[in-house]
Amino acid sequence: MKRFLQPVLLVLCGLGLLHVSLFTDLYLRYVKEGMRPLLIASGAVLLLLGLASAMLDKGQHEGPHDEEEHGGHGHNHSAMPRVAWLLLLPALSLLCYAPPALGAYTASRQPPKAVPEESDFDPLPATSPVPMTLSDFTSRVQQDREDQDIKGRSILMTGFVTPGGPGGSWDLTRVILNCCAADAQSVKVRIYGDPALPANTWVTVTGTWHPGGKLGTRSAPVALDARRVEKVDRPWNAYQDSLPPEARP
Amino acid sequence: MEKTGALVVEDQAAAGALAGAERGPGSRSAPPRFWPLLLVGAAVVPGTVVILLGRWGDTPAVQAWRTVCLAVTVQALPFLLLGTALSGAINAFVPESVFSRVLPRRPALAVPVAGVAGVVLPGCECASVPVASSLIGRGVAPAAAFAFLLSAPAINPVVLTATAVAFPGNPAMVLARLLASLVTAVVMGWLWLRFGRTEWLRPTARHTGHRAGHSRWNEFRLGFQHDFLHAGGFLVLGAMAAATFNVAVPRSVLDTFTGTPWLSVLFLAALAVLLAVCSEADAFLAASLTGFPPVARLAFMVVGPMVDLKLIALQAGTFGRAFAVRFSAATVVVAVACSSLIGGVLL
Repeated sequence: MKRFLQPVLLVLCGLGLLHVSLFTDLYLRYVKEGMRPLLIASGAVLLLLGLASAMLDKGQHEGPHDEEEHGGHGHNHSAMPRVAWLLLLPALSLLCYAPPALGAYTASRQPPKAVPEESDFDPLPATSPVPMTLSDFTSRVQQDREDQDIKGRSILMTGFVTPGGPGGSWDLTRVILNCCAADAQSVKVRIYGDPALPANTWVTVTGTWHPGGKLGTRSAPVALDARRVEKVDRPWNAYQDSLPPEARP
Repeated sequence: MEKTGALVVEDQAAAGALAGAERGPGSRSAPPRFWPLLLVGAAVVPGTVVILLGRWGDTPAVQAWRTVCLAVTVQALPFLLLGTALSGAINAFVPESVFSRVLPRRPALAVPVAGVAGVVLPGCECASVPVASSLIGRGVAPAAAFAFLLSAPAINPVVLTATAVAFPGNPAMVLARLLASLVTAVVMGWLWLRFGRTEWLRPTARHTGHRAGHSRWNEFRLGFQHDFLHAGGFLVLGAMAAATFNVAVPRSVLDTFTGTPWLSVLFLAALAVLLAVCSEADAFLAASLTGFPPVARLAFMVVGPMVDLKLIALQAGTFGRAFAVRFSAATVVVAVACSSLIGGVLL
């Protein structure tokens, strides 16, 4: 067997992991922030393993080998399992062809994430416009029966554009992860009154609640009449429902 | 236009190659008549393929597929490394006598002990497959090793804590998950004792343990490396399958099954197999499936860590396909039954 291929594969996997976790922030497109130390450690272990294998196993492939003799079914340590070649795909993809974070395509095919049931809502701060997360807006519109603070207030939210609503409306969207991109869920707020920008553009929207149904129940639309839509930079860690950037202390 | 041109060239290149093959080795010295075309083909075809692949790879659906596939792989790799390192260490450093002293002699008793021992391996389900394989290699009864394989990812403290966080104020859900997973693991172990056949298992000759005259550290390194490459390949295979379902089946399909309780239990169990969400996160996903009854959500959390596409791929790679198919199918049935019974009583 071509023994030098094993170390190459290990080193490539290690470099791929280190590339996305240690040298860049690409890992945030796939997993949560807390995975970073584990990814760096794994990358380092794979790199070391590959280097060790390159140095220690050199010159062993000539001559008879006791493992070859009783490994009749091809299951010895010296032969590289053929399926291991598949590891080359994620390794090279991480190194030079990293796919983008999930966005409008995924969000448009999902129902909006269910927000947790709440009964007590803090009064909204007096500032205008009020910065809010999309989840907070959703739960206040659909669950805040008593105070109905949201009515008539000017609200500021940040997310990306998912086009395709009825009548020129579109969805302000955030994709949220629990563990990795395989369990992504999205929160959406329908935006009226401003034409949609291209899909996946990050924007900050200022506007007021789009009236309809009975506020504080499920019949109330999670929607906003936009007064102003501004392009913003994509946040550093996009897979969370955070406040608009300028509103953070 | 460019594409058809490339196709024509490719055809001619293939024809030339065929003709060359027919002429046999005798006429090898004569260059094929179309050799300039072959040259052009060699220059044009790879470039066209790369460009077409690149363009196809950047459509939103394929991008989402690649992201999910890579995410499953990246998320699981550290845990797979942990599992294979542990398996390599068990193989190289732990003498066989340790297991025979710790586990009861009778396999029927060893099964529940091994099931409860699953508490000690924190992490995702990918770690447990190589560990179970090395346990069998060290003389542990397969039934006990399989009970450990099933229970470890489902009842470890990390997963139970995540469940408690995902279902605040609902400790019955945590208890139900613990019990249903443990019972499923033990029942599967006993089922293997009664019906299991050794010939379904691929011989695990590579876990031979420490041999005299070899350096333990070198054995550890070689075993670790081989197990990782082997299991890693199957992990990628499983991640691809999971990503395909993840992207191809829109989540809005979920709403059609929320009505009937029995159907919803089966549906969420199937969903757990297809989505291959890691066991530390599935509780959050289950909590968000608010349209479903609690029993169905419990089934989702019990089946998910025991059977899913990437686990089936890992098991097929480690223990052989004959085993993986039978074992996974039986586990789904037992897990659905256990979670329906226990969930029906507790929730």
